[in-house]
Amino acid sequence: MNDLIPLNHLVTGERARVGQLLGVPEEVHRLQELGLRDGAPIEMVSSGSPCIIRLSETKLCFRNNDATSVLVYADRAS
Amino acid sequence: MNKPSIPAQQEITVALIGNPNTGKSTLFNALTGVRQRVGNYPGVTVEKKIGRFSVGNTEYQCIDLPGTYSLAPRSPDEMITVDVLLGRLQEVPPPDVVVCIVDASNLQRNLYLVSQALELGLPTVVALNMMDTARAKGIHFDTEKLSKNLGVPIVPLQANRGIGLDALRESLAAVAGTPTDNRISPFPEAFQTEVALLEEQLNRASESPVPRYLVERLLLDTGGYLSNGEALASIDDAFQNHVLLARKRLSAAGYPVPAVEAMSRYAWVAEMLDGAVTQPAEKQRSTSDQIDKVLTHKIWGTTIFACMVLIIFQAIFSWATPAMESIDWAIGKIGNLIGDILPTGALQSLLVDGVVAGVGAVLVFLPQIFILFFFIAVLEDCGYMARTAYLMDKLMSHVGLSGKSFIPLLSSFACAVPGIMAARVIENRRDRLVTILIAPLMSCSARLPVYILLIGAFVPNTKTLGGWVGLQALTMFGMYLVGIVAAVAVSWLLHKTLLKGETPPFVMELPSYKIPSLRTVVQRMTERGWAFVRRAGTLIFAVTILVWAAAYFPRSPEVEAQIRANFPALNESELEKRIAGANIEQSILGRMGHAIEPVVKPLGWDWRIGCAVIASFPAREVVIGTLGVIYNLGGEQDEQSLSLQERLQSATWPETDKPVFNLPVALSIMVFFALCAQCAATLAVIKRETNSWRWPAFTFLYMTVLAYLGALSTYQIGMLFVS
Repeated sequence: MNDLIPLNHLVTGERARVGQLLGVPEEVHRLQELGLRDGAPIEMVSSGSPCIIRLSETKLCFRNNDATSVLVYADRAS
Repeated sequence: MNKPSIPAQQEITVALIGNPNTGKSTLFNALTGVRQRVGNYPGVTVEKKIGRFSVGNTEYQCIDLPGTYSLAPRSPDEMITVDVLLGRLQEVPPPDVVVCIVDASNLQRNLYLVSQALELGLPTVVALNMMDTARAKGIHFDTEKLSKNLGVPIVPLQANRGIGLDALRESLAAVAGTPTDNRISPFPEAFQTEVALLEEQLNRASESPVPRYLVERLLLDTGGYLSNGEALASIDDAFQNHVLLARKRLSAAGYPVPAVEAMSRYAWVAEMLDGAVTQPAEKQRSTSDQIDKVLTHKIWGTTIFACMVLIIFQAIFSWATPAMESIDWAIGKIGNLIGDILPTGALQSLLVDGVVAGVGAVLVFLPQIFILFFFIAVLEDCGYMARTAYLMDKLMSHVGLSGKSFIPLLSSFACAVPGIMAARVIENRRDRLVTILIAPLMSCSARLPVYILLIGAFVPNTKTLGGWVGLQALTMFGMYLVGIVAAVAVSWLLHKTLLKGETPPFVMELPSYKIPSLRTVVQRMTERGWAFVRRAGTLIFAVTILVWAAAYFPRSPEVEAQIRANFPALNESELEKRIAGANIEQSILGRMGHAIEPVVKPLGWDWRIGCAVIASFPAREVVIGTLGVIYNLGGEQDEQSLSLQERLQSATWPETDKPVFNLPVALSIMVFFALCAQCAATLAVIKRETNSWRWPAFTFLYMTVLAYLGALSTYQIGMLFVS
C-alpha cells in the first residue's frame, strides 16, 4: 500500500484511490454525497487550484481549504 | 383535496427527483409539455414547478423538485424537497409515486439518492436516463436484475429523444398505490435499532408524529439544522440528549455518525450493482474530454471565455437594432394616433406622455434582453456554464469567494433578483452574504436600456480594434467592467472588515457537454423575457404613471397667463414651449429636482436628470420613461415625432442654451446607474434573503455613495478631455 498523500499533490494524468477525508464532518459528508467515498478511484484531469478530477464517469472541480482535505493513495509504482 | 369532481384515485401525484445534470428538466418537459405552472413555496426561494398530463382517464400532476445529490436537508431550501416528498406541505398533495431519474453512466453516485428515496416508504420508479451514452461507453446493463435487486421497476429512458416515455407512464400507473413496507434499510442493525428507539421517544406524546425518515436524518444531522427548532417544532432538550447518546453508542459500536451514512449507502449501492451493471475494464476518452482540454485550459479557455462575453455584448447591439427600430416606430405611431383622437389636456397627456411613452420606452429593449438570455440559456444547457465557474474560481478565490458565486453573479447580469436568490446554492453563510451584497453591482438588464439610450445618443458609432469592435460596444463593455471592478473591491473590503473568515472548500460537478436543446433554450429565454415584461408592465407602469402625475401636478392656469403676459412678443410655439417648461418646473417632481440640483451639478446633471434619478428609485429602467416624460413635456410641438435620443441631444440649459448632454455627462449618468442601488425589488430580496433590514440598508447606502463618487470623478475627469 502506498502512502496517503493530499489530492492536490497528484500530477495531471495520475490515478489514485480516495483514502481519507479530513475536516468538518458536514463538509466531509457533502463530499461523500458527491461521490468522494473511501476507495473511490479517481484520476487527476487537470492539477492546480482548483483542480479537475475524474470520479467514475463524472468530472468534479475541486478546491480544498485549510480545514478540509482529501487524502488519496496514488497508484504509483514506487 | 379540493377537487370533488374528480375521484381521488383518478388523480395521481408524481414527484420527480434526481441528481443535477441527469436530464430531469428534459423529462419534466417531455412529460408535461406546455401544461406547466411555476410558483414559489412560501418562505423559501425554491421554484414550485408543477406540470400535468393525462393517460386515458387518469390525470397526473407532476411536481418537479430541485436537482440534488442527497435528501439530507441542511437549509430551508433543501428541507422543501423532503417536506414535499413526505407530504408535509399544504401547498402540494402528498405524492402517490416518486420518479427518481438517474444517469445510467454514473449509477454509483446516483443510486445514493435512490437509496434515500426508497427509505421514504413511497411507491418508486427509477428512470434510467441517457442509456445510449452509457452503452456507448461500454457499460452493460441487466435492468431486470437491477430492478429485482432494488425492488422497484426500472424504466430505461432517453428523455431528450422521447424514448421510453410510454413505458414510464405505464409503470407509474402500475406502481401508484402499491405497498412498500418490505423495503430493506441500507443501514446496519444497530443503527436501525437506534432510529426506532428515537422515533418512539419523539412521537410518544405527539399528535403529529415525525416520519421515520426525518428521525433518521435527525440522528445523522450533526450540523444541527433539523434540531434547531425551525424545521421540526417538537424537538426539545431532552430529545437532543437522547440523540447525542445514540450517536455516542453508535460511535462506540464502530458506526460513527454521520460517516455511517456514506459507508452504508455506498456498500448498499455496490451490492445492488453487483452482477447487474458491468463497467468496461478500460475507459475511453470522450469528446467532452477533448473539448475540455481546450475550454478549461488556463490560457486558451480563459481567452475563449472573454471573447465569448465580448461577442455576446456585440450581438446585443447589432442583432437587436432592427427589432428595436420596429418597436420604436410602432410606439410612436400609437402615441400619435392617441394624440390625434383625444383633445389636448390631462387625459391626452397621461396616455401619450405617461402610458405609451413610458411603457413603450421599456418594451423597446426587449430584443436585447431576449438575446442576452438566449446566450445564457445556451451556455447553461450545453454545460459550458460550469466550466466558467471552474475558470473563474481562481479569480473568485482571490476576492475570498468560490466559483460557485460566479453563477449567481453572472445571473445578476440579467437581473440581481434571481441572482441573489441563486446565491442560496452557496452553503457557506459568509460567502453567500458577500455574493448577495455585491450582486447588485453586476450590470443587470435594467441598466441595459440606460446604457443603450445614452451610448446610442452620445458615443460616436466608430470602429476600433482594427474595425472589428465598435466604440459603442466597447463603451458598453466598459460599463460592465465598472460594476465588476467595484464588486471585486467591495468583496475584498468586506472580507477585510465586516465579514472575516475562512475561504470554504469548493466542489462542483462538470457535466458532459451536450448539444443544447432548442426547446429548453427558447423556454428559458421566453420565461425570463416575460418576467421582465411583467415587471415593465406592472411596477414600471405604475411608477411611470406616478412620475407622470408628479410631473404634471400641481398645474395652475396662472403660470400660463403669467408667461403670456410677460412675453407678448413671442409666437405661439415658443410660448407653448415656455409654458410646458414652467409647468413641469413647478410640479412636485420639478421642485424635487431643483432641490437636489446643487448636489448633482458637480456630476454634470441638470435638475431634470436629478428628477429622473429620484423617480427611478423603485427600478432603474424607470429612468428611461422619466427622461421621456420630462424632455417630452418641455419640448416643442413639432418635436413630437423625435425619438428620445434626439430629444436628449437637443436639450439645453435654460440660462445658457448650452447642451445639457455631452459625452462626459452621458458617461457620468451611466457610471451612476452602473453602481447605484436604484431597485426596490433588489433591496426587498436582500431583506428576505438575509432576514434583516440591516443588509438592504447597508447595500443602498454603500452603493449610492459609490455611485455618486463614481459619477463625480467620471464627469470631472471627462471634462478635462472635452475642454
